[in-house]
Amino acid sequence: MTKNEFLSVMESHLTALPPEERDELMDDYKAHFAFGLQSGKTEEEIVTELGDPAELAKEVLGDRAEPKNEQPLYWFYGQEQKQAQGYAGQTGQGPETPLRRRIAWVSAALHTGLFFLNLVMIPLLIAFWSAGVGIAAGAASGILSPVLLLLDYLKDPVFYPAKAFASVALVGIGILLLLSSRYIFKGLLKLTLNYRGWNVRLMKGNVNRD
Amino acid sequence: MDISIQFKKGALELCVLVLIHQQARYGYELAQSVSEYIEVAEGALYPLLRRLVKEGYCMTYLQESSGGPPRKYYKLTPEGEVHMHRLVAEWNKFSIGVTRLIQKGIQP
Repeated sequence: MTKNEFLSVMESHLTALPPEERDELMDDYKAHFAFGLQSGKTEEEIVTELGDPAELAKEVLGDRAEPKNEQPLYWFYGQEQKQAQGYAGQTGQGPETPLRRRIAWVSAALHTGLFFLNLVMIPLLIAFWSAGVGIAAGAASGILSPVLLLLDYLKDPVFYPAKAFASVALVGIGILLLLSSRYIFKGLLKLTLNYRGWNVRLMKGNVNRD
Repeated sequence: MDISIQFKKGALELCVLVLIHQQARYGYELAQSVSEYIEVAEGALYPLLRRLVKEGYCMTYLQESSGGPPRKYYKLTPEGEVHMHRLVAEWNKFSIGVTRLIQKGIQP
């Protein structure tokens, strides 16, 4: 394994670390290679001495996941063991680790953020939909205006040509509105479904990482 | 996991503390010094050193080196000194106990 292979395996296994911590650790290893090469070792020799990068990375992450294992078990002698047991007892289900706390925090922030976003977005979507319904209603009444004219004529049998022309114009406008409302509803449906899908993906992605 | 790896992992902290106690050392130098005595994956040193710094047992300072990256030296803090002495005492007690147990158990 070469230096670059070692470093890239290491880095890919440390993605769970906060970036600044990971960068510092990576710098330590890079410096180690530099000093090793300076003293005449080959990259392979240095890698062999360092050990398996995946295994090392696992220990770095493992140390963070289980802080109570940071002190080797066999050094607990007498009272200290009781302290350790007390500590393990207090934490209950699984230790609170910085990483887990971070994930929990991000997840809480995400949920809160989505809640407030939806507080705005859902009424906005409802407003869009009611605008769509309004346009459709306008189309329907425009197209139905000759019927209304007929009713009007039956009630008051005087023929006003102006009303007839207005009715013809309204039918035309109604047809145009009807055609456009088809696209409007299609667009609204797509928008709503996409927005819903985005919400679900965000939540699920969050759960998977946890 | 290999049990001897666990042994070494635990002992490594003690070894590092004692080596830094002797004199301030930088990471690569520490790795060489530890390897003189015990066979250990040197890569495990850096996470350990980071933890020691985080727990306040060590502090670091940078020093330029000729023709290489600056050396990050590790120095024991007063708390580190106390911690080291405590660990050494515990280690001695522990290893004497285990040695006695083994002697009693294996030799008739």
